[in-house]
Amino acid sequence: MDELKVIVFKLATEEYGIEVDKVQTIERMMPITRVPKTLDFVKGVINLRGVVIPVIDLRGRFNLAQTEYNDQTRIIIVEVDKMQVGFIVDSANDVVDIKRSSIEKPPEVVGGVKARYLDGVAKLDEERLLIMLNLAEVLDKTEVVQLEGIED
Amino acid sequence: MDMNQYLAMFIDESNDHLQSLNEKMLELESNPTDLGIVQVIFRSAHTLKGMAATMGFEDLAALTHQMENVLDLVRNEKLAMQEFIFDTLFKGLDALESMVQDITQGGEGKADVTAIVEALQAIVRGEIPSSTPAATASAVVAPSAASAVSSKAVELDEFQQSVIEQSLSAGHQALYMEVSIREDCQLKAVRAYMVFDLLERYGDVIKSEPSTQDIEQDKFERSFSLYYVTQKDAAELEPMVTSISEIESVKVTMLDASSLKEMVSSKEPQSIAAPVIEAAPAATTATAVKAETAAPAPAAKAAATKAPAPAPSRTIRVDIDRLDVLMNLFSELLIDRVRLEQLASEVKVPALTDTVEHMGRVSSDLQNIVLKLRMVPVDTVFNRFPRMVRDLAKSLDKKLDLIITGAETELDRTVIDEIGDPLVHLLRNSVDHGIESVAKRVAAGKNETGTVKLSAFHSGNHVFIEIEDDGNGIDREIILKKALKNGVVSQEVANTMKDEEVYQLLFAPGFSTAEVISDISGRGVGLDVVKSKITSLGGHVTVSSELGKGTKFSVQLPLTLSIISAMLIRVGSEKYAIPLTSIVETGIIKAKQVRDLHGSQLIPYRDTHIPLLSLSRVFEVPDFDEREEEETEIVVIRKGDKLAAIAVENFIGQNEIVLKSLGSYLPETMGISGATILGDGQVALIIDPNAFIK
Repeated sequence: MDELKVIVFKLATEEYGIEVDKVQTIERMMPITRVPKTLDFVKGVINLRGVVIPVIDLRGRFNLAQTEYNDQTRIIIVEVDKMQVGFIVDSANDVVDIKRSSIEKPPEVVGGVKARYLDGVAKLDEERLLIMLNLAEVLDKTEVVQLEGIED
Repeated sequence: MDMNQYLAMFIDESNDHLQSLNEKMLELESNPTDLGIVQVIFRSAHTLKGMAATMGFEDLAALTHQMENVLDLVRNEKLAMQEFIFDTLFKGLDALESMVQDITQGGEGKADVTAIVEALQAIVRGEIPSSTPAATASAVVAPSAASAVSSKAVELDEFQQSVIEQSLSAGHQALYMEVSIREDCQLKAVRAYMVFDLLERYGDVIKSEPSTQDIEQDKFERSFSLYYVTQKDAAELEPMVTSISEIESVKVTMLDASSLKEMVSSKEPQSIAAPVIEAAPAATTATAVKAETAAPAPAAKAAATKAPAPAPSRTIRVDIDRLDVLMNLFSELLIDRVRLEQLASEVKVPALTDTVEHMGRVSSDLQNIVLKLRMVPVDTVFNRFPRMVRDLAKSLDKKLDLIITGAETELDRTVIDEIGDPLVHLLRNSVDHGIESVAKRVAAGKNETGTVKLSAFHSGNHVFIEIEDDGNGIDREIILKKALKNGVVSQEVANTMKDEEVYQLLFAPGFSTAEVISDISGRGVGLDVVKSKITSLGGHVTVSSELGKGTKFSVQLPLTLSIISAMLIRVGSEKYAIPLTSIVETGIIKAKQVRDLHGSQLIPYRDTHIPLLSLSRVFEVPDFDEREEEETEIVVIRKGDKLAAIAVENFIGQNEIVLKSLGSYLPETMGISGATILGDGQVALIIDPNAFIK
């Protein structure tokens, strides 16, 4: 398999990609129930057709400035290792095919996001760069918890 | 024709029979002279043998047959139950179980059981060697049977032959049947199955050619033949078989001991078959007369055999994922129902209102059923423990009783599936390390028979399973010594540790206090596995112990999916559910009644003061603070005998709610045990009141 189908979403100024088969569904913004005493970027839980799923603000996760949600805001539900999590993103409205060979190793920091959370960077055309997310790292909490501990 | 459907049935029923055999054997062991129990065991074994033989699991049938021989002697008071007989029979049961296990996993159910078979035969012979004509007879016939191996006739092996011989001597009739199916029949296998089904109702099919499997898989020409043992009359059976559609003809041949031998030893089946069939009518009448005179006795016996057989439980197996899907779809439906109710109340059309009301009633019935589908009584796990504990106690030379209570407590199926192994570990631990040897118990002035209590009960959002023994208890010093030696703790820490903390060391990886490593426990890989398993299920294990008096392991398990009654409350814009089981009462207090004491707040309650907890502050609710109110609604909660009050903004009402997990991504949150979906589709968090009371 040389081709890779990728969901494209926007966060601040950059475009990011998640492999299609890891995405369960993309939802519009819906009521979120706050969960007390949890990490700052965990916005709470939603009811997705009878399943309770935690949602995290991806801007918050990457320490980008958090903004108000609007009509374009989407929740991308991903599933990794049987764990379902929703990502709040600025917008999501594209699916593209990219060649695996076109994915390059990411530089240290892209758009304020550390390389650790990234699988690579794919060039869509001359103008557009697509940043591929490493979901396992994004969902790994140990580092966050440690950081929070230090900040305290 | 799919043979799997019978296989599943066979496995289910075999497991039922094995379980009841185990239970009855234990009962018999404590009451060895009760022949009533022996009868029940014998019947179970007999049925199992019949089923196994029909399904073509020869080893299973052979072993059951030998066990049956022993039981038969006991039942007829020719043999008294003794300890070694129990042990051999239990070993036999184990072997049967592992064979059924193998079949369940798609195997052939084959196993080398010669040792057990020999032991069983020795028991049969050992007592009164001359009293077993069947065994000797089959031994004599064996060589001739062997010589017939090359022939194409329906060959009986030694075991099957002895079964027929025994049936004959018990006054049953042995028949050889040849059934042909009409040429234009489309579903040969189905018709064949119907024949077998009919025959099985009145007796046992000992052997068929081609084999039952081949017949069921349609691997046969138009006819098949079989050996059959029954109490029915051949003349009566023949029309019954022919009446099945598309059966062309049935040839029934009566067998007696000599014709049986002839058939088995004949090398030219075709030539010998004809005379036998010709001779059949005569034989039929002859035996028929005999059968008539003997009729009352076997009939009575048959009634006794069939009547008490437990009704097979009518169950089907369903993939648990499908139940999850069902559950989720149902939640969706509930939400739509609420919307419909709202719309109906706005539109105010009587017909619509009626329909929606009816739908409401139906859906709440449906809800109950859907929720109950996943719940299974813990008995499905507990029922194998008596046998296990018995074996353990025996091998350790200890005396003990296992007392089980609360086996009817229901738990989610997924938890049930996982909880078995941890409980086995804990029970083994109690029997091995907890209960002392008889000598030690007597020396300590205790009853020489130890007690292990296994109990399950509901409490709040949890099910507790406790394993309590009246053994020696846990010696703090021994554990600390060992922990220090293994470097698990340092000396300073050890000195300040509370008893509970010391006991928790037992669950540390690689920790074992047994002086002598036994094959039961003490490899040091037990309790840490127990703990990690239970933690992965979202539960806790705690230990309490009193030196010299006993130890109690308490396993707390969540009801991962269950329905509970809860009080819905509102704090600011947020809604929470509090399980009703923890609520003592609700009330209102005035702000001036609240007293500050060392930074914590107390309110008067009955004759005493109880702490007042602020939900808005604990959960950092942004838009409510009860300190600004003149009056505050409170919910009084209880944990054990401790009480506390939680301040809320107002009560919404009581509701049945579905417990849902928050997903594995979120870390455990203090005071939150899960979530539920409300009628409006929103998620409400469920409060764990236990966390609020220290």
